[in-house]
Amino acid sequence: MVRVKRRYLLCEVNVSKRSDLLQLDDRAVAAAVRAAVALTHGDYGAAHCLVGFSVKYLNAHTGMVFLRFPKRCYKLLWSALPFITSIEARGQKIPCFLNCVHVGGTIRTCQKFLIRYNTQQLHRMLPKCKDEEEKQQVREAILQCSLPGGKKEAFEDELESEEDEEK
Amino acid sequence: MAVFMDLNLSSSSSVRSLIESAAQLGFSTVAINYVFEPSKKKQEIPTPTPITELMDQLPVVQGRSRPIRVLNRLTVVMSDSSHFRPNAAEYRSFDLLAVQPTTEKLFHAACLLYDVDIICILVTEKLPFFFKRAPVSGAVDRGVVFEVSYSAAIRDSTMRRYTIANAVCLMESCKGRNVILSSAAEKALELRGPYDVTNLGLLFGLSDKDSKEAVSSTCRSVLLHAETRKTASGIIYTMKSCSDSCDQQEAPPQSEHCEAPAAKKHKTAPADS
Repeated sequence: MVRVKRRYLLCEVNVSKRSDLLQLDDRAVAAAVRAAVALTHGDYGAAHCLVGFSVKYLNAHTGMVFLRFPKRCYKLLWSALPFITSIEARGQKIPCFLNCVHVGGTIRTCQKFLIRYNTQQLHRMLPKCKDEEEKQQVREAILQCSLPGGKKEAFEDELESEEDEEK
Repeated sequence: MAVFMDLNLSSSSSVRSLIESAAQLGFSTVAINYVFEPSKKKQEIPTPTPITELMDQLPVVQGRSRPIRVLNRLTVVMSDSSHFRPNAAEYRSFDLLAVQPTTEKLFHAACLLYDVDIICILVTEKLPFFFKRAPVSGAVDRGVVFEVSYSAAIRDSTMRRYTIANAVCLMESCKGRNVILSSAAEKALELRGPYDVTNLGLLFGLSDKDSKEAVSSTCRSVLLHAETRKTASGIIYTMKSCSDSCDQQEAPPQSEHCEAPAAKKHKTAPADS
């Protein structure tokens, strides 16, 4: 078996106001990426974007996005990503930028990395907690971060608790 | 893993959010840039705000356990040779010293003569001159680096053309050696992550390896070069000592012994990278 070679970019959408993140959807992100590629690389880049590019996953709470690119031209398309300054979603322009944190060959390695990354974020959050109850919540969330077994549930739990902390 | 640095953050009112954002993105060292333009009337050399006054607690770098390191940097925009005064006392309060020459003659002088760490490449307009091989390789030999900043390219499409054109022009003569990529960001949203900047280097004509070095190890050699500039070629270093330490008579011979190997280290470090 030969698989189609792809690259998955794990990007973080950074915004100044965190509440704006909830308005994002995958179509808006995809449109922003396409527009940026067309602006920097013209028709040639836009043509590469037509086949094999998609937004695989978007977490609106943490602002994590999986972008899928064909392997042969992912560097070309990636070099257009820094020029994204805003994403237009639901009639609003959200000023933001994409920060790539990981490049993976399969979506599974990206998921593993994302869980580790989110655990790191929880660790960073721990000293900022205001009272003991919050701290306990974060500690429990850290303990729940693990891939094997019921990996889906752990994944979801962790993200939910992180979202709780940020409110 | 390499340590990422961004040696150009504008000293505007939002510098706190810039530093926090840089730490979040994974930059271990940043430098706050103060611009000094002598051609404008009534301008004085700015004095750097001490970091401790700026922020009481520095944020921890992403993926590391240390707080971010913040330096001060002065950029002198030169349109005449009298604008740069070597050994001016005001320059001493800055960790890094950069010049931005606007004519070919000044560029030549900056590369070969001036005692600076960084030469900024214009990114907001088309260069009025070409980079000649002789001064550029002279600068590479001395350990002076060239800086290309990318935030102007993010702001505007025309600037993007000038930035890429000037950067590619520079890479032709220096072949990717001694180049650093920095942000020159005024707002937190103009910063980009280190991996994105590395990939952006490909657009500027750098190879994979060179563009990674442009955000990590070349920046480190700039810091070492800056240290040797402050000291007498890295051999003797003077600092104010408190009165208590004067009582100890043994101190001077001991320090002499220690200095000798350190001098070697300092001298070779900026040159070899």
